[in-house]
Amino acid sequence: MTKALFIISLQHELAMAIGNKLDLKAMLKVFLKVCFNRLDLTSAHIYVHCNHSGVPCKLLPLENMTHQHLLSIPKNKRGQPWPQNTILTRFAQQLNDSKTNKSFQCDNGQYLFGFIIPDHGLLIFETHYAIENEVQKSLQPILKKLATSCYTSIVHDSLIKEMHSRQLIEDKVAYQAQHDGLTGLFNRQHINYLLGNEIEDAHQNKKIGSVLFIDLNRFKPINDSMGHAVGDKILLTLSNRLHSLSSENIDIGRFGGDEFIILLKNLEIDYQETVKQLIEKINLLLAIPFVIDVHSYKLTCSIGYVYYPLQSSTVNNLIKFADIAMYEAKRAKSQLGIKYQPAMSDKIKRRLDYVTDMKQGLEQDDFKLYYQAQFNHYGDIIGAEALLRWQHPVHGMESPAVYIPIAEESDLIIAIGQWVLEQACRDIKKLEKLSLPESFNKISINISAKQLMQHDFQDKILNAIKQNGIAAERLGLELTENLLVENIEDSIKLIASLKEKSIDCAIDDFGTGYSSLTYLKRIPASVLKIDRSFVANIAQSNDSAAIASMIISLGKTLNMNVLAEGVETEDELNCLKELGCYHYQGFLLSHPLPFDDFLQLLN
Amino acid sequence: MNNILVTWKTHSNTLRDLQHGINIAQNSGAKSLLLLTCSQNFYPEQPLNFILKNCPIPIFGGIYPMITHQETLIEQGALIIGFKENYDVSVFADLQNFKNEDTLEALINNTLEAKQNFSGQDNFLMFYDALINNVEDFIDCLFECLDHGITIAGGGAGNIDFIQRPCLFTNSGLLANAVLLVSLPRKLTTSVAHGWTKIEGPFLVSEAQGKTVQSLNYRPAFEVYSEIIESTSDHKFQADNFFDIAKNFPLGIEDINNNLIVRDLILTTNNHLQLIGSIPVNSMVYILGGDTNKLISSSEKAAINLFSTPTKSTTQISMVFDCISRVVFMEDEFDKELQIINKYCPSSSLFGVLSIGEIANSESSAIRLLNKSTVICSW
Repeated sequence: MTKALFIISLQHELAMAIGNKLDLKAMLKVFLKVCFNRLDLTSAHIYVHCNHSGVPCKLLPLENMTHQHLLSIPKNKRGQPWPQNTILTRFAQQLNDSKTNKSFQCDNGQYLFGFIIPDHGLLIFETHYAIENEVQKSLQPILKKLATSCYTSIVHDSLIKEMHSRQLIEDKVAYQAQHDGLTGLFNRQHINYLLGNEIEDAHQNKKIGSVLFIDLNRFKPINDSMGHAVGDKILLTLSNRLHSLSSENIDIGRFGGDEFIILLKNLEIDYQETVKQLIEKINLLLAIPFVIDVHSYKLTCSIGYVYYPLQSSTVNNLIKFADIAMYEAKRAKSQLGIKYQPAMSDKIKRRLDYVTDMKQGLEQDDFKLYYQAQFNHYGDIIGAEALLRWQHPVHGMESPAVYIPIAEESDLIIAIGQWVLEQACRDIKKLEKLSLPESFNKISINISAKQLMQHDFQDKILNAIKQNGIAAERLGLELTENLLVENIEDSIKLIASLKEKSIDCAIDDFGTGYSSLTYLKRIPASVLKIDRSFVANIAQSNDSAAIASMIISLGKTLNMNVLAEGVETEDELNCLKELGCYHYQGFLLSHPLPFDDFLQLLN
Repeated sequence: MNNILVTWKTHSNTLRDLQHGINIAQNSGAKSLLLLTCSQNFYPEQPLNFILKNCPIPIFGGIYPMITHQETLIEQGALIIGFKENYDVSVFADLQNFKNEDTLEALINNTLEAKQNFSGQDNFLMFYDALINNVEDFIDCLFECLDHGITIAGGGAGNIDFIQRPCLFTNSGLLANAVLLVSLPRKLTTSVAHGWTKIEGPFLVSEAQGKTVQSLNYRPAFEVYSEIIESTSDHKFQADNFFDIAKNFPLGIEDINNNLIVRDLILTTNNHLQLIGSIPVNSMVYILGGDTNKLISSSEKAAINLFSTPTKSTTQISMVFDCISRVVFMEDEFDKELQIINKYCPSSSLFGVLSIGEIANSESSAIRLLNKSTVICSW
């Protein structure tokens, strides 16, 4: 009677200990602890079947799975984790293989009793006594219940894992939706969203906010010359620095490329001073050199800003206005930041109208090529530079100094450049049909940065030459020194390739770019053009004469012809001659002329 | 060569005398001190803290309802044992803050890590505040986390009025809610006895929570308990005599090897029985009874068992953790228990405490909380 009651109470106590927790390990631990105390065990162990990834799972029929040690009481034995205990491990293996309950008496007199947890694992007890058969048998229904609970826990664990991984993915998607992939700052969409909320908040609480638009100066040359990996590291470093400014009232985002947006909210009455201080902080953050892979880079930025709701209350306008102000700051080369003014938009509008006019001018053939002859010191014409002229329907003859920079800001310069190329080739064709003086070499055209960046630039040149059936050596290209050094390696390759095809290049405006002379040596150009600023008053200015003299001797050393631009007086001409410069271009010798007039000049 | 340099005792309850004793013990060249005092001393806490904090050598021990030296029961006073070796003491403090298994495990693991897993230390004395309510969780957790089996003996300190006060001595002062684990320099052997026998049962613990038995055999626990006691003895339960009767009739949880773990009953409320120590639902319990002769006889057996082993020598130190309830039960005859233990002890270094709960290893080597038992140990 007592024995029967003991077994019933044991079964009940063990059964009650099953399924008290949902986590598999926690659930089994509660059970194991009760076994440990109730059965007066020396140690107790659970092994579970696991899939190939080591995750506990139910054993499928006819399938052989590994079993892994899951937990033991006590946790270790003599400083050794139980899985390293050879007696226990061997016994567990035998138990798993035999698939029936087993017992074993160790050399030290201790016993091991092994039980199969159906489809799920092994339960092993170490005792100092032999567990009676009746008690062992009484554990069978408990083991079945334990198996059911194991299955529930495994399903629960997998659900928890699935929910967790889903949550992680959802968090990741939510994060990605709001953050920039490279820098981790807020992305454009989220900045727009935040700004929308902040505008509303500013209205409701009668607060002032500001949008700052930041653009790095001359970041592109670094990106182009050092590669995107370096550029990205710089952006990341800058983002981390900018992030240090963020607070509950300051949100920072990357708008794209090297553009960043800062939203300032809840500004007080001294809001202008706050913005000024923030701009100072930004400049200080940029003043620290960016050290990337042992190279050190110094960067500056242009900042435009706008206040809301004072200047606008719409997201698009605020960002646009801050962007416009940033461009003004960039043009003005100001690091103090420039506040948006409505006049800036008017200017932009005028500029856009102007671009439209240019497009129409191009379509309506309002652009013309004028040719300014180039002479040698004997007075012979050796060539000419093709110069673009635009007869504006309203303004009359427009200055290239006005429309070329505007065309360069828009992509229109590519279309204009292509027109220049084709028109020059057509004119060269006409020239070739005439009996040209022996001294006459070529017509040169100016190339813009955007043209040069086009991957098929060389093909376009060669096509134009081919289509017009002209000799390649009759066409020359003038590239500014600044343009060349912005992407020096590609420029060197391009010029060398063109030279192979008999198309010479001249380095225009030489002396203004302060480029490294190391580069110059590597550029396979044929002509160095002394910038007009060094020619003007050369006879009176020792500095100009010294620079011109240096350029002339440099040309000789590098086996390049040197041509002086902007020669306007006899004194200048004589001075250049004395310095050893024998090719000239300038009003003294000839103004730029329409093609027909140029033909007459040639004749 | 003796392992104890000085044994100093007093029946005085003054701190001045205690300080005097500590000075003597320190001057003997002792490297660590065991300090056992009686709760009846009612030492003022602040100056006692001062004495403890200024003790330059490791000091440990506790305030117990009574203490013993050889065959003398000391109801008021103090006993100081000065050891010639350095005893390392690990303190687990603020245990009331470690309410679940995970936090308790983290506390124990941190201490184990700091003490290199008690590497090479297999023998411990445990002094603890008897009124911490998670001592069983603590010993279970300690057993689980230790990477080797240990031999342990210990007893709960405090006062039998069951009002919690600081009762453990450390070099940081008096502590409540704490456990001291004292690492011994030599192998500890223990012998455990209680002498209580079944008078009725078994009963199925059909409802229980922690230390409260709500029902036995699906009936209110007190109802079942009182029926049995009143039908088998002359005792009649009144409103205020529960403990006077229940001290004679503890419950016994029978384990698989028919060993009884005794659980003291301290009060009854709402027909429930409140125990010292937890009791699992669905376990089987018996109502136990005892007589002085059986209890003393069991202690004698334990003493013979411990002291008759050939390795025991006169240099060994022996300590007894005897449950205070045995004194309450045996009253004047308790002296006989002390005399009989002392009779078999080969050395003069026998001392002990009357504790509220005892700690010892079970046969399986697990650590158990005992009640109404005698734990004799020797190292």
